[in-house]
Amino acid sequence: MKTIFTTLLIGLILAACDVKPEPLVMGKDACHTCKMTLVDDKFGAEIITKKGKVYKFDDLNCAINFYNSGIEPKENISTCMAAVYNNPKQLLTVTQAFYCQSDLVKSPMGGNVATFSNKDDLEKFAREWKGKTFTWNELLEQFK
Amino acid sequence: MKVLLSIICLLYCISVPANTILIGAKQNVRSLKEGITQAQFGDTLRVMPGIYREGNIILEKSLVILGENFPVLDGENKYEILTIHAHDVVIKGITFINTGVASMTDLAAIKANGCRNIRVINNRFENTFFGIYFANSSHSWVEENRLQSNAEAEHQIANGIHMWKCSSMTVRNNIIKGHRDGIYFEFVTNSLITNNHSEGNLRYGLHFMFSHNDEYRHNEFVNNGAGVAVMYTKGVKMIDNTFDRNWGSAAYGLLLKDIRDSFVTRNKFTQNSVGIFMEGSSRIAFKENTFSANGYAVRLQASCDDNVFERNNFSANTFDLVTNGTLTLNKVNSNYWDKYEGYDLNNDTVGDVPYRPVSMYSMIVEQVPTAVLLWRSFLVYLMDRTEKAIPAITPENLKDDSPSMKPYDFLHSHY
Repeated sequence: MKTIFTTLLIGLILAACDVKPEPLVMGKDACHTCKMTLVDDKFGAEIITKKGKVYKFDDLNCAINFYNSGIEPKENISTCMAAVYNNPKQLLTVTQAFYCQSDLVKSPMGGNVATFSNKDDLEKFAREWKGKTFTWNELLEQFK
Repeated sequence: MKVLLSIICLLYCISVPANTILIGAKQNVRSLKEGITQAQFGDTLRVMPGIYREGNIILEKSLVILGENFPVLDGENKYEILTIHAHDVVIKGITFINTGVASMTDLAAIKANGCRNIRVINNRFENTFFGIYFANSSHSWVEENRLQSNAEAEHQIANGIHMWKCSSMTVRNNIIKGHRDGIYFEFVTNSLITNNHSEGNLRYGLHFMFSHNDEYRHNEFVNNGAGVAVMYTKGVKMIDNTFDRNWGSAAYGLLLKDIRDSFVTRNKFTQNSVGIFMEGSSRIAFKENTFSANGYAVRLQASCDDNVFERNNFSANTFDLVTNGTLTLNKVNSNYWDKYEGYDLNNDTVGDVPYRPVSMYSMIVEQVPTAVLLWRSFLVYLMDRTEKAIPAITPENLKDDSPSMKPYDFLHSHY
């Protein structure tokens, strides 16, 4: 009996510690940097700490500002994720995503960056909207 | 003399009097597009009652378009209805319904781009994506319009009155309901927003970004998803507005972010989760405002400095003033606080002992929001009392040295 109880308890603790992304809820969640309520599901990002705290953002430049601000030290950050432009429900780890910046894309805080999960979508979009393509590291440089 | 007379005569002959063209099912001209093609500079088009389905109407002439008894222009959920590329245009008395919805292009009922002297007066808008949209324009008026939309998800709906890169605009006496942001200003300068009623919009009643030297007064912002946001702006005057019932975890009566050199005067904040939330803002004068029945009256982040709170009424708020740091560079003076328990021995209506508006427990709640569960418990009451006697956590300097014993009566007092 005691073993079962202990196992359950440990299981519960482990479950509580699980570090996983949360969905971005439009119209309810607010951006941690600019405080605006999230309304455009084509854009958005979240930063998850190793302890499982989730910071949400309405635009990639808000997320990068926060990432560089040191409010949450970089060694505490577990993952950064970005919403996919042509599939807004999907969140993608930032290093695996492809980015396109174009002034014709209007994101909530003027970052104007669309995120894609594969290179084909990216190149098609970049041609259509006259955008410039970026990798995550290049994007970090861009918004420094 | 003779020369002068002949010149006047000549001028008279050249200036053709403006014509009026009647448009309607029973008239010679059946459609608005045809009317616009026939019209000359300065003519008036009178649109008779009826439903007009003409797709996207493009106006490139200075004309006056008057609706008789609100004729309906229907966008059939596909088109932008009226696109204006001309100066000196009047649009009055028309109902616009059912614009198209698009995620990449901003479809509007009326869109004016690069225009001057446009008047949009007394029109009705139902179920439009963007209602009235101005870009790169100046010296225009949006008055007495009624806008109503009711989309369910926010990305399917856009702003009621949307202005981008404009100057010297007037937005007056409009009623805006059910849009994403009721009134949206981005890069709009020297403009006036007055006597509007913005209610039940999904995000903000009024949303300001990078819009310097504007003024908004006598507006009512009621029950919007997240209240009113004024961001990244300097020189804003916010006077005589009502911020009412903006409830929610990310809702603020008024959100001030990165605002400088501004005035917040004689506004009423009632029943909001947070009356005013401010971050990174400095040199703002808060005077003669009334805060009542809010969760937090004012949430002042430590990143704010040189702000002054003077002669405001605070009553029936759960927390009057909350901050998240111990160093405060803001002044709080001569306000009325209903929680003040001091005395006035010399009867000059000013309390004899200072009032500290920041309660200790609010500092804890600021760090651990879930701790608010224990608010109003006996233990918390004891802790707050102890803190009042021996301040340890609350900022020492944040106090009102001359609290008023009576609430101010702003209705009957004048400067």
